[in-house]
Amino acid sequence: MQAFLAYLIVWIDGFLIFFYRFTGDPVVDFFIGTIMLSFFCVIAGEFTLSLAIRFNKRHLDRMSKEMTEKENLSILAYESGDKDSYRALNKEATDAWGKHFFTMTAYSAGILWPVPFALGWLHSRFYDVEFPLTFPFTLVFGETVGYAFIFVPVYIFCRIIFKYIRPHLPYFRRVKISPDA
Amino acid sequence: MGNLKWLRKGAMVVMVLALALSLLSIVTAIAQQKTEAEKPALVGSNLGLSGKLGDAISKSPAGTGKGQINPDGERGFLGIPGGIKLNPLIGFFWAIWVGWIFSTVGAFGGIMAGVGHMTIYGLGDYARTFRTTSPALNKFVTDSIRVSNQWLVGLSALVSSFNYWKQRRLVFSLGFFLGLGALFATLFIVYTTAGKIRFSQYQGWFGLVIFVIGAFMIYELTPKGSASKKAAKAAAQAFQASIKQKKDITEQGIKTLKWSLVRTEFSFFGQTFQFSPLWAFVGGFFISAIASFLGIGGGFLYVPYLTSVVGLPMYVVAGTSALSVLIGMIFAIFNFMVLAGIQVHWPLIGAELVGIFIGSMIGPRTGKYIPDKVLKIIFIILAIYLGFKYFLRGFFGINLPI
Repeated sequence: MQAFLAYLIVWIDGFLIFFYRFTGDPVVDFFIGTIMLSFFCVIAGEFTLSLAIRFNKRHLDRMSKEMTEKENLSILAYESGDKDSYRALNKEATDAWGKHFFTMTAYSAGILWPVPFALGWLHSRFYDVEFPLTFPFTLVFGETVGYAFIFVPVYIFCRIIFKYIRPHLPYFRRVKISPDA
Repeated sequence: MGNLKWLRKGAMVVMVLALALSLLSIVTAIAQQKTEAEKPALVGSNLGLSGKLGDAISKSPAGTGKGQINPDGERGFLGIPGGIKLNPLIGFFWAIWVGWIFSTVGAFGGIMAGVGHMTIYGLGDYARTFRTTSPALNKFVTDSIRVSNQWLVGLSALVSSFNYWKQRRLVFSLGFFLGLGALFATLFIVYTTAGKIRFSQYQGWFGLVIFVIGAFMIYELTPKGSASKKAAKAAAQAFQASIKQKKDITEQGIKTLKWSLVRTEFSFFGQTFQFSPLWAFVGGFFISAIASFLGIGGGFLYVPYLTSVVGLPMYVVAGTSALSVLIGMIFAIFNFMVLAGIQVHWPLIGAELVGIFIGSMIGPRTGKYIPDKVLKIIFIILAIYLGFKYFLRGFFGINLPI
């Protein structure tokens, strides 16, 4: 098992670093490689979530239905000026919403699990690399920043791009976007 | 004559005391010399580790014993030579349990994630070995545990907030004031506690909070605690019976109608709600201070605060709580990692996320076979036991047998 894991890590390392050696310019290569790495994270996360939605669809639908019913009722109570019923329904909904809230929290792990691994790999490769900042960013972030400071915005950017190209991608165009969409 | 006798006796006592003190000081001096002679040399180099971790390493004693750094050892936690080797499989399996709790019980999952960092993975014991030999390293590992908890919570809150935003259930004006409180709170916590909290202190406070949660769960099971829930259920059912649902209103979102520092109004499903920004700020400050100190999300505090104190409907509270947790965690993580230079062990967090996700898949399929009340009792026992254990171990050094 340990040997397999060690082999896997070496293989993944070789694969990922390939994208950091395209042009020979260290800054350009760092950005190209980080964009590719972020895209892999987005795709792996979205694929995991799609499996989860298929696997637990019935449970998720039941939860959403219960929430919607309670929500409609309490707003109707508020609308009709029945404050006592509104408060009661609000309290009643706490359990349904609480369960949904924490289930969503757990599901989000399915989208984001590749991110810490990517950061861990970046740490092993670019631990000592520092990117100098210019004024006024130096006031908030200091003179230099590390790999995480670049990776996080690039990852967010890739998520946004993915949203637009999703309908054109095989497999992803057929799956539901999120448990509540 | 009598006075002289007392004087002699007094002199004797003073002489004996002086002799005892002299003996004690000689013994202490010899012991000290011996200790200094035996005291291992400091590492004296950062061993390739930058920032505060490198500083702490260089000031730690070199050697292969407990509380020492072995410069030739294999790199372990945070790249520390000879440091604890974390087993990703243990992290993974514990995280499955955490995910299972998240999807069946709820808030207690975050607490169990913290228990994993402190106890199950052995990071707490590792930090404790440096208590006297290298206090700076003890505090650094403690801060790393806190920030690891914050990463788990923050990443989860990020996706939850995004989903609630898509459903138009975020009250941004409320999130703004809560977030403002969170900003001041996290700055306050980082400047007052980063690099200053020993692991034992952190464990003690963490235990106290788990204990309070356990006590609250017990209260909810008592006739008095469950009475209000029963009354709410009855009132809800009565209302449900009395009306005919005419329209589906789920597609409407939230609109902020009036911004002011005294009162802010927003509409939700066509109804107007209001809140005091001042109370939102105060709540955001205190809840975020507790959450960032302990490295927990604080959702279990935000929800009752926003529904009971601020008086908002549950349907906007869940999303706005997630947003508040996210804002608090972003500030806390940024302040700890960028301003205070704390590091985390990324592969462990990754393995935990995978485990949490798998656990949350299993939860709905297995949790339904265990009655809610039984689940609650199990977690009350866990909360009380863990709360006591951490409280006693952290503040008084008393180790419970199990």
